Amino acid sequence: MITLWYGILGFMLTTYVVLDGRNFGAGILHWMVARTQAERRQVIAAIGPLWSWHEVWLVGTGGVMLMAFPRLMSASFSGCYLALFLILWCVLLRGISIEVGGHLSDRLWQEFWDAVFVFSNALLAVLFGAALGNIARGVPLTLQGTFYLPFFTNFGIRGNVGLLDWYTVPMALFCVLILTAHGATYLTMKTEGAVHERSVSLARRLWLAAIPAFVLITLLTWLVRPQLLHGMAIRPVSWLTLIISAASIYALATGLRHRRERLALLGSSFLLFGLLMTGAAALYPVMLFSTTDNSLQFTAVDCAAPASSLAIAVAWWIPAVILAFAYVCVIQRHYSGKVSVSKDNQEFY
Amino acid sequence: MQTSLTDAALWHRIHFGFTITYHYLFPQLTMGLAWFLVYWKWRALRTGDEKYNRAARFWARIFGLNFAVGVVTGIPMEFQFGTNWAGFSKYSGAVIGQTLAMEGMFAFFLESAFIGAFIWGEKRLGQQGHFLAAVGVATGSWLSGFFILVTNAFMQHPIGYTAAADGTLALANVGAFLLNPWALVQFAHNQCAALVTGAFAITAMGAFYTLRGLHSEQARVYLNTGTLVGLVASLLVAFPTGDSQAKMVGRYQPVTLASMEGLFHGTRLADVTVIGQPNISQQHLENPIPLPGALSFLAYGTFQSYVRGLDEFSRNDWPDNIELIYYAFHIMITLGTIFILIMAWANWKRWRGRLESSTGLLWILMLAFPFPYIANSLGWMTAELGRQPWLVYGLFRTDSGYSQVVSAGDTIFTLIGFVGLYFVLGLLFLYLTGREIHKGPDAPYPLAKRQEVAV
Repeated sequence: MITLWYGILGFMLTTYVVLDGRNFGAGILHWMVARTQAERRQVIAAIGPLWSWHEVWLVGTGGVMLMAFPRLMSASFSGCYLALFLILWCVLLRGISIEVGGHLSDRLWQEFWDAVFVFSNALLAVLFGAALGNIARGVPLTLQGTFYLPFFTNFGIRGNVGLLDWYTVPMALFCVLILTAHGATYLTMKTEGAVHERSVSLARRLWLAAIPAFVLITLLTWLVRPQLLHGMAIRPVSWLTLIISAASIYALATGLRHRRERLALLGSSFLLFGLLMTGAAALYPVMLFSTTDNSLQFTAVDCAAPASSLAIAVAWWIPAVILAFAYVCVIQRHYSGKVSVSKDNQEFY
Repeated sequence: MQTSLTDAALWHRIHFGFTITYHYLFPQLTMGLAWFLVYWKWRALRTGDEKYNRAARFWARIFGLNFAVGVVTGIPMEFQFGTNWAGFSKYSGAVIGQTLAMEGMFAFFLESAFIGAFIWGEKRLGQQGHFLAAVGVATGSWLSGFFILVTNAFMQHPIGYTAAADGTLALANVGAFLLNPWALVQFAHNQCAALVTGAFAITAMGAFYTLRGLHSEQARVYLNTGTLVGLVASLLVAFPTGDSQAKMVGRYQPVTLASMEGLFHGTRLADVTVIGQPNISQQHLENPIPLPGALSFLAYGTFQSYVRGLDEFSRNDWPDNIELIYYAFHIMITLGTIFILIMAWANWKRWRGRLESSTGLLWILMLAFPFPYIANSLGWMTAELGRQPWLVYGLFRTDSGYSQVVSAGDTIFTLIGFVGLYFVLGLLFLYLTGREIHKGPDAPYPLAKRQEVAV
């Protein structure tokens, strides 16, 4: 049961990153792919009416973490206090920047909220990337089972570490690169015209750049946390997710080469999904590594809620997630197809 | 709990109190408006009368603004359980996490899937689809309210749990937990109060347009629907929901009831004070105007019922801000009574066909809309301050619930951040809402926007 909830938590967080990651990417590229005011509205329209549905995956992940792994939630959220509020403020500003743009017709203020949109998305990508790096590296857990993470200390990866160090900073940049490429791939599918052409060439270049970056980050991870590669090698689930990732790379490459945009997006989404799930499988059963003393690390069993709570929650979680996808299938039908500059008929999406 | 300004616990409380009070200004209106929108869409489908569609479209824009601010201010709420209340999360996460996760999984996915389509997608969805989207959004917003109230009810009156070996709580009986009598009563009371907010907002808009001599057809729709729902909801807030809520407090939190009424010494024939000032150090009410026996009757059903006073409880278990609870409760009750009177008057005039010519009454209706917000906020202050010094009533104290690793300095830092952000957000919200009101319900829609985009 605990393993199942570990998987559900990983699945939800990964789904969030895959879905909202493309909005981060599109946001970062906003100024590069869209030059005129109308093109910028087009990018926002491509993110579309479902951005808050994407964000609910983050909220749902938070709720599930509190329910299934209360000790993990309380230690990690209070430990990353300031970074978490930075994330929350960015999420807040990003949401306003998307919604307000549709209400304002004034050029000046649209430009202002476009800037907020770009910066909040970029910062979110950096922060989530750094968070991933911190999960791999570990945090300075104390005997009380708590920790407090400053933004940086000496940029080292052992002992009294900070949020940023020589491993988590490259990891954050790597995530920005990958999410930007993912966002560009999304825009190739969802737009037409000049924005589409720019996204195609950006997507190709960004994914090419991602290859050496991926090799580098894998090597760094092997240096910092050799257990992860070991875990990957011995756990059959991670073989499966690695196969998914490999197939996704093939789909992505084919899609980009032959301009089959839907295939490319599917490839890039499942590539992200496969890689993150591989990471989760390799991490298992650990949830939080310790940089101070390995015996202090949190495993899934250490943090899990009592069995009765977990059993009850499975019973409602499964129908809930099916319903969640059903709603979107209903709505998505009305929003399929590409967004163009002129077809942008009702408000902005 | 003794607090001072250097105490981290106090700042964590202010942090949560500020962000939740601000947040709830928006959902109370969306929950209140949601069923009006469903009703108007339904009327338009049934009668084919375009005025109902226009009403739904106009209020959907106001709804959308409130919804957006509600979403962005709501996300930090859930995460604060982990960041600021780590002790509480660790202790009770296995129970309260259930409803918080259900809220995301059942309510938010539903709401967020349909909200964009509802506000901007009338043409894409068609009339039937648009009506169903309205139903989806309304159901989602009320479900979300339900899950939050179940969470709060567990903190007020914990049932359905067992204690695990390590002293934390586990969920034992999900039925008892979700159908907590406290939750049902509180949900009914709270949702009626949200309808009051919605009805007063709609009525105020109708009164404003009538006084201005604008959009008279739309103004009439707002006045008719708003005053009718306003009267029914105001009555339901008081009786039976508010009455049952007070009885529930009397039964499970007698020390809170004593604080709400400033009853320092237990007695039969206990009074309800219409007005008066509690003096904690001398343990009496100053300048009271009492209704003799009313408290005994309201709380326990007979005038002879004995109501326990504060002196019968250990000072350790007293709520730590009795003055604030007392005033919050009394002002809420007074406002609730005034709402019933105003709405009864308005309905009388409407029945006589003279509402639109009663200038004085229209002024009152126009200026009255902020007061349900105040009453709602004070009701929640009564509930939450009344729960003190407990986080989970009788089980877990507030001063063991906050995050030990987070210093008062960190909390004040993020509190200042929220105050600044929310101030700007509030200005932006008022500006955008003002623009929508200025544009009015008869503005061509969505043609105006299309031209602006094309420029």
